[in-house]
Amino acid sequence: MSADSPAIATPPPVVQVRDMDFCYGASQALFDINLKVEYHRVTALIGPSGCGKSTLLRCVNRMNDRVTGARVTKGEVLVKGKNIHHADVDLTQLRKQVGMVFQKSNPFPKSIYENVAYGLRIHGEKSKSVLDEAVERSLTHAALWEELKDRLHANALALSGGQQQRLCIARAIATLPDVLLMDEPCSALDPISTLKIEELMHQLAKEFTVVIVTHNMQQAVRVSDYTAFLHLGKLVEFAPTEELFTNPREKLTEAYLRGTFS
Amino acid sequence: MTPAPTTDNPFAGDNSGIQKRETAARWALRIGSHIVVFTTLAIMLHIFVKGAPVVFQSKWPFVNTQFLTKLPATLHVIEDKQGHRIETDVNGADAVKKKLGDDFRSEKTVSYSGGGILGPIVGTALLVVVSVGVALFLGVACAIYLSEYAKHGKFLETVRLAILNLAGVPSVVFGLFGLGAFVLTAPVFVDVPADRSVLAIPLGFTTLSFEGWDTCVLSGGFTLAFVILPVIITASEQCLQAVPQGFRETSMALGATRWQTIRYSVLPFATPGILTSSILGIARAAGETAPIMFTAALAFKDKLPWQKDMPPLPTDASIFAHWEQSVERFLGIFTESVQALPYHIYTIAAKIPQNEYSERAQYGSVFVFLVLVASLATSSILLRKRLRAKYRW
Repeated sequence: MSADSPAIATPPPVVQVRDMDFCYGASQALFDINLKVEYHRVTALIGPSGCGKSTLLRCVNRMNDRVTGARVTKGEVLVKGKNIHHADVDLTQLRKQVGMVFQKSNPFPKSIYENVAYGLRIHGEKSKSVLDEAVERSLTHAALWEELKDRLHANALALSGGQQQRLCIARAIATLPDVLLMDEPCSALDPISTLKIEELMHQLAKEFTVVIVTHNMQQAVRVSDYTAFLHLGKLVEFAPTEELFTNPREKLTEAYLRGTFS
Repeated sequence: MTPAPTTDNPFAGDNSGIQKRETAARWALRIGSHIVVFTTLAIMLHIFVKGAPVVFQSKWPFVNTQFLTKLPATLHVIEDKQGHRIETDVNGADAVKKKLGDDFRSEKTVSYSGGGILGPIVGTALLVVVSVGVALFLGVACAIYLSEYAKHGKFLETVRLAILNLAGVPSVVFGLFGLGAFVLTAPVFVDVPADRSVLAIPLGFTTLSFEGWDTCVLSGGFTLAFVILPVIITASEQCLQAVPQGFRETSMALGATRWQTIRYSVLPFATPGILTSSILGIARAAGETAPIMFTAALAFKDKLPWQKDMPPLPTDASIFAHWEQSVERFLGIFTESVQALPYHIYTIAAKIPQNEYSERAQYGSVFVFLVLVASLATSSILLRKRLRAKYRW
């Protein structure tokens, strides 16, 4: 259902989902999903609550493995061309390259510095200069460096809600992932903090590839290059954002965008 | 019957049965709870009034150091012809009798009522150290497994049920378990296995013999560890569960393994709570009598665990030159049987003839015991309060 036909010179999509079915135990949550995420683009997943958009997002870094009975029953998920369910895939390496930011900002009750350095530390980085550099780089990317550079060793819980969420973004990009998954990153934030994070996303897309789940359609319009609309576990339409919002091909998409679900 | 309203208050009470029952219920509940509070206070006050004078004194240093630093001993009460009574210990008795000469009328001995209670205090401390050490290790390991690794399902439910049941096992059964498992069959390394050894595995240089540890601190400590294990497991699991799931998700999303996640973003935030709850485990371990009766405690022992008949260390060298002997002596502490406070209280309260002289040691011991346990419980509560304020997310 991809909108763009593959050109010869383009690199393979960074994330590709092929004919995927996904089940929680006996109940099927996703049906025959096909999706391509291009490098350095923001892809938004929209749809009503319970449509499976978060589940789809969590398939990409296999966070669903934590749920008992949750599994992909058909098809495959490729990240950088590699099937992530293949036996020789190391989850820690996969997740190092596919970062994630959650709905609820949840910094560890440690210092700002330790929060950002966490990912590198667990991957064995010990050099102080490397860590220092990564912390500065990540906080700069997350537009926090200027605000926080003088209190890197303050407790992260002392930050405001918006700052905490940007700190979580900094933490997620410290390991230099290829893909950054964001699961409704602004749903618990006030409009000004939301705006800051939306601005940030354009910047982030220059370095990383962003996939964002959002229930806010305006946000999808503002931040994304591509939008996928899911309904009841099926991918209804996937197209460049402008096209999907101005000229949806599917009746269901149109109804959802108009707010008139039958 | 509703009486006719005498005023024009439309909300006046009607003295109906409902109101009477309300009053009756309120008073019944109030009296019930007051009885509980009153009983507790009465016990505490009684022990304080009778026990505090034994432990404290009006002269410097205000604490009866003899009572806290001497081993229990037999009290000798010598009466002269004028009816004066002199209290002394076994060593002083002869001198007093010689001094009195013809004035001597009678001598009375009261077991365990002289001296102090250092032996029981030391024994209880050792038992608590061993049991809490063992229980924390096993309990936290079990709690981490149950909370972080085990899959939800029938097995987990069964294990939880088993732990709850363990908490309900009568303590004397734990005592018998300890007797069978640790005193009589636990494995030791010996050169020549004893006749009663259940199983002896020759290892060449030595033999692993399942002949038990005998009654000693180790046996008692392990037995007590199993008594407090359910408390520690349940509390630790609650503390682990109280750490937000988001920490685990984030950590794993950053590529941490399960153990890294536990090690760096779950345990550090659960540890204060686990330690706090384990203090309550200490109070429980210190208070149990039945589990140590068969496994560690003696009614009377005139030596502390480290006072053993051993060749003295050569005085010329530093202790490091003989570290092997030092280590052996240190470990030897744990293979001694000891006196313990709860068992000592049982002995002096129920096993010796009662008179005005035995009362002193009884109330003194109970008072010291109560203060120890109460201060442990209090420090646990204070610690928890402080940590709650510190870790809020």
